[in-house]
Amino acid sequence: MDSDCLSLLPAVCLVLADPKQSPPDDTSLEKLLDWFKELHSQSNGQVLLQHQPCQPCLLEFISSVCTSKTTDPAILSFTIKLTGLLAATTQGFHLLDEGGLLVYVFEREAWGVCDLWEDASVRSGWLQGLLDMLKHQQALGFICGNGLIKVILQLQNDRSLFVACLANQLLVHILNFLTSSNMTSGSDVVGSSESSLRPDWVSVSSEIMNAVVEALSSEDCPQVLQGLRLLSLVLSQCGEPILSTLWKDVLVPLEVLVNRGSESLIQTLITVLEAALGTPLLNQSEYKVEELLEAMLGDGNRKECFQCAALIVKLEKCPEVLKRKAMDIILLPLQCVSTQPQAEKEMNVVLKEQLSQKASCISLLMQSLSSLAQLAHTKYLFEDISIHSITSSVVLLLRMCSGHRPSSLLHINAFTHLIGCCKVQRCGLDTLGALSVYEEKLDLRKDIFGVLLDYLQSPDSHATVLKKTFQAVKRWIVCSPFPDLLQFISHDLFPVLEKRMCDLRWEVRDSTLEFITQLTAALNGNSGFSEALHTSGVVSVLLSSLADAEGYVRASAVTAVGEAVTASLYQTVLVSNSKLLEEALVQMMAILSQDTEGFPRRAVVQAFTSWLKGSHLITALESSLSSVLSLGGSDFDWEVKMHTLELAEVLMEKTLTCCPYAVQNFGSSEETRFTQALIKLKDFGLFDLLFNSLFDCDRPVCEKACALLVKLRTLTAETADLDHSVLVLNVCGNRWGDEVQRRYLNKQQAKASGCVTNGVTGSDEGTDCDLHCSKDISLPKILQILDLDDMQRMLTLSSDHVVNSPRSLMEDILSAAQQNEENIVDCY
Amino acid sequence: MPDIKVTPLGAGQDVGRSCILVSIGGKNIMLDCGMHMGYNDDRRFPDFSYVTQNGRLTEFLDCVIISHFHLDHCGALPYMSEMVGYDGPIYMTHPTKAICPILLEDFRKITVDKKGETNFFTSQMIKDCMKKVVPLNLHQTVQVDEELEIKAYYAGHVLGAAMFQIKVGSESVVYTGDYNMTPDRHLGAAWIDKCRPDLLISESTYATTIRDSKRCRERDFLKKVHETVERGGKVLIPVFALGRAQELCILLETFWERMNLKAPIYFSTGLTEKANHYYKLFITWTNQKIRKTFVQRNMFEFKHIKAFDRSYADNPGPMVVFATPGMLHAGQSLQIFKKWAGNEKNMLIMPGYCVQGTVGHKILNGQKKLEMEGRATLDVKLQVEYMSFSAHADAKGIMQLIRMAEPRNMLLVHGEAKKMEFLKDKIEQEFSISCYMPANGETTTIVTNPSVPVDISLNLLKREMALGGPLPDAKRPRTMHGTLIMKDNSLRLVSPEQALKELGLSEHQLRFTCRVQLHDPHSDTDTLGRIYTHLKSVLKSYSIQHVPDGTVIVESIVIKVTSSAEEPNLKVILLSWSYQDEELGSFLSTLLKNGLPS
Repeated sequence: MDSDCLSLLPAVCLVLADPKQSPPDDTSLEKLLDWFKELHSQSNGQVLLQHQPCQPCLLEFISSVCTSKTTDPAILSFTIKLTGLLAATTQGFHLLDEGGLLVYVFEREAWGVCDLWEDASVRSGWLQGLLDMLKHQQALGFICGNGLIKVILQLQNDRSLFVACLANQLLVHILNFLTSSNMTSGSDVVGSSESSLRPDWVSVSSEIMNAVVEALSSEDCPQVLQGLRLLSLVLSQCGEPILSTLWKDVLVPLEVLVNRGSESLIQTLITVLEAALGTPLLNQSEYKVEELLEAMLGDGNRKECFQCAALIVKLEKCPEVLKRKAMDIILLPLQCVSTQPQAEKEMNVVLKEQLSQKASCISLLMQSLSSLAQLAHTKYLFEDISIHSITSSVVLLLRMCSGHRPSSLLHINAFTHLIGCCKVQRCGLDTLGALSVYEEKLDLRKDIFGVLLDYLQSPDSHATVLKKTFQAVKRWIVCSPFPDLLQFISHDLFPVLEKRMCDLRWEVRDSTLEFITQLTAALNGNSGFSEALHTSGVVSVLLSSLADAEGYVRASAVTAVGEAVTASLYQTVLVSNSKLLEEALVQMMAILSQDTEGFPRRAVVQAFTSWLKGSHLITALESSLSSVLSLGGSDFDWEVKMHTLELAEVLMEKTLTCCPYAVQNFGSSEETRFTQALIKLKDFGLFDLLFNSLFDCDRPVCEKACALLVKLRTLTAETADLDHSVLVLNVCGNRWGDEVQRRYLNKQQAKASGCVTNGVTGSDEGTDCDLHCSKDISLPKILQILDLDDMQRMLTLSSDHVVNSPRSLMEDILSAAQQNEENIVDCY
Repeated sequence: MPDIKVTPLGAGQDVGRSCILVSIGGKNIMLDCGMHMGYNDDRRFPDFSYVTQNGRLTEFLDCVIISHFHLDHCGALPYMSEMVGYDGPIYMTHPTKAICPILLEDFRKITVDKKGETNFFTSQMIKDCMKKVVPLNLHQTVQVDEELEIKAYYAGHVLGAAMFQIKVGSESVVYTGDYNMTPDRHLGAAWIDKCRPDLLISESTYATTIRDSKRCRERDFLKKVHETVERGGKVLIPVFALGRAQELCILLETFWERMNLKAPIYFSTGLTEKANHYYKLFITWTNQKIRKTFVQRNMFEFKHIKAFDRSYADNPGPMVVFATPGMLHAGQSLQIFKKWAGNEKNMLIMPGYCVQGTVGHKILNGQKKLEMEGRATLDVKLQVEYMSFSAHADAKGIMQLIRMAEPRNMLLVHGEAKKMEFLKDKIEQEFSISCYMPANGETTTIVTNPSVPVDISLNLLKREMALGGPLPDAKRPRTMHGTLIMKDNSLRLVSPEQALKELGLSEHQLRFTCRVQLHDPHSDTDTLGRIYTHLKSVLKSYSIQHVPDGTVIVESIVIKVTSSAEEPNLKVILLSWSYQDEELGSFLSTLLKNGLPS
């Protein structure tokens, strides 16, 4: 523990315990507790409990808060949590118990008297305190001996969601704890049966389990829900013997609940059964887990069975037979609406009624579609039903949503509900995209692309629907390029995209550009596609999009143009390609220097990085690189600066390592080549960029620059015969230069004073001493002068590591208490 | 009874972040989705697992509404939509949609600065989230689905801030977000029509405060800046990119112009152009004065305020700099502060709130020695002024809004518990309505009494008039009979005949029958005769007929007498009546059960 913090702790405790002081900022207490927790876990409780000034002041604090009945609820809650934390070790527990503090803090009645219990933060603090404390037998003894289980069970139905949830967690923790090695009559073996538990512990577990049974048998829906929530937590977190004992007890009320099929309980019941599936209970038929799930589904003619089916389909460990049954049920609405003949026979009255009402029809179809998508994600093997028929149902549904009247109509009026329904459209498109994994089994490509193209063309398509359409198109194109793909792209897709790039909505323009980028990247290397792209009008629209009114769109246009230029490398024969690069460069440089928004400028620098990585374009870019580095490095936006440094990194790698153009003088030595490469980087202005960025106001920028300079220092240090004279940099008239000179001077002074004391003056120092007056210093020298390692160590720390330290936090609490006038600093 | 449920996940008795769940008429709506700026971990976001398990937010929520662009109201939105996975509609006004990403980007930068910050959204996520947003205009009623509609009202506070009315059928809720009932330099005052919602959810930041006139604060601000500049000092004003900064810029610009001052004013990181762009674009959202003078002179085109370059901080002489971020977290404002803190001639003006864990918080607490990185210490010699320019309604303003909207119930959020308690009592006393103030995680249920409009046919009314009685009076409700029919989603009360005609139905006659046994030694005919006489004496005002076919008829009631050959003295009296004469029929059956007078 930091000794400064220790010295502040007594004063902080005094301030917090003073009822006249208003409690500090709402986060301070939480952060203080975080720090206590950290200390506690690091030292297993030793620091807080044994440290001399620390221990008595904390105990005194707890005692004084509990004695005062006028304490603020926030402070009381904090104190109870702190007490729980301290009592988490047996040593701490005894310390608090001996003084009677423990009973005092957790005596629920005391807080009830002064109404503090009414505050939810006190109740949740009380539960959290017990939860933290419950690490040893004595703690459990304390909870049971003082009748606290009853209170916890009451809190399980608290009006505060947070308190009720915490109470459930604590109850599960207690049950779990009972069966842990700590508790089984001193034996290290985890108890495998209830008989291995001490008799008084058995009664504790019975009390809790009876409460669950009681809750499940209750007529009060919120109480049933809480009971079910606790049950699912037990199932997922506890082991034997608790699991089977509790399950046996709850089975009957659970069966009643399942058979009742109340809509408000379905979700929670499924969560319970889902948790049960993950336990050994599943394999024992007397526990009826599978039976219960089946009962939830019924025979498919209850209103609730669709929701159950949708949930069961998503279960990971579900028995196959059940999954198939659930799947049959959940796909039925989709098949009915899309007039699949076999479905019409199976359509029951309930489903018919549900589909005839708009809200339930939409909700059912969404469940159908999302279940299907979920199955497709796992590439589920459908057996009873062909993937062809399912996919054509989805296609038909999507057509209905865009107003196409199906050839045969059911008696239900689902068709009218679906026209223009964005919810179903989005969900349907997601599903259609997901079905692309079954591509090899499908022969519906024409229909699929037909409906997708319709959506892209329709003036009524919502922006979010178009985005989903693009995603689906991409998935179908990428999964298996088909023979007519290029024909489709150039004749059908490109004309639509050109139109969409001029859409009134920026969201649509942006999604279109993003799609073009993704498509170009995905089909990278496909010369046919590149040719189609460059011979179509798309590229010219892309270029004009660089001047879009919306910053986001300009940024996406920059990325798309960048990708198009990369793709053009495969079409070097086309004259238009060199023109494209030329024009792109002009416009991109204009964006980098003039655009008022950060996103397009970021995109420009990223495009350069990506081109440079591709290495084909290096010569073409050379003339622009120094401008990009200088503009990007002095940008207002921190991310433009970051991306510029990433560009610098690639440039360094390319130039200093295996760069094809850096090594021009064949036959020259390694050192010469390295020096030449460095000169090249200097000409690009890379060193200015790095040094300037090292002193930037944005920390990530400094950190990146520092990392690159360290790399550079290593490389220069490795090269023994480096010619320093050709790598001289001007350090005057710029900020980083001043900093270099200042640091150098400081070092000199320190050295000089050291030398004077030693009575020696070295000639070397004399020579170096002149440097600070010189305006030119060599790169390797600068890299040595700057204490880069120290800087890097500092920069890797969080920017707020000082103001967010425990010491700083305590200083804040103290200074807030000294502040006499109240600032109305409560929000924006 | 139908009810409205409200559960704050944030802003329940605190001002950390706003996130309120409302269930109304079977619809679930999330009001604001804010971030707590005081935490660096997941505690900054609302815990959506309390809304629904397994991240099924899209299935549960019908829509999300964002009141304005401050991060404590919208900061968790990209997290919710792109990381937790909410795919449904998000509503906010046009200016909020445009400005939100700027502030989110600003904050994202601060989180990148802080190492170890995980689980934070990317730029792409912010953009993808914004693409899901449906922008709204003021007073435009938007139909979320067939039942749910929302409407935005002007809230003042910041550019684009809105209050929202949410309506399902005849039930409605108004959520104020943050609002201001007095106009300021650039924005107008909040306004809402007398919409009489079932519930008004109002912020209560200044629940117990009556704020002094903003003019005084403005004068004070200008005086302090002027004095500092006059003595050659530098003034640093840390601000967030958009919002209060523009109000203060207008203030300084006008003052500089009037006083013909020459000291430079700078605004950091190229935001002036961007801010100017948005204020121009959304000029209709500013106050009347700015709108009126816009044609001659755009108030946001500043003559004296120039873009700042980091090298200017070292320039000698006086200057005023607006720099981001607003809490001196990091970045440019902190860098300038470090440079200027040591000179007592300089001044720092904090125009807004600072969370714990920032340099701004320390300075506002009066700390004069700040520990810096590398164990360095910074002596704060410059003058520090806190001037709250945050624009919230004070206690008076909140009461004024209640008078405007006339809600049936009131619920307070976004305030401190103690202050809320005071205001709650005041509201309950003055308006005689219930006022609630749930803590985070607590659900308040408000029972509503939805009024269902029903049209009454003119014929039915005429018939009612013809029956006599007093003329209709709104204050004296009276019972009226008719048939309620629902056609084309509207309800009408018509006469039964008209209902039959309109619906093309034929009337069914319902008759009740009943058997009463009694011992009577006479013949069946005589018994019937005795019944006739008995009834004649009991029911004097009724027409009673003794029909020769062996029946007695009273109104629609038919009475017959039979007996069996085995027990001729045991008579079975058959009564039958139509449902209109149910009362009389029951009366007669009881009467005959008691036997006939001897």
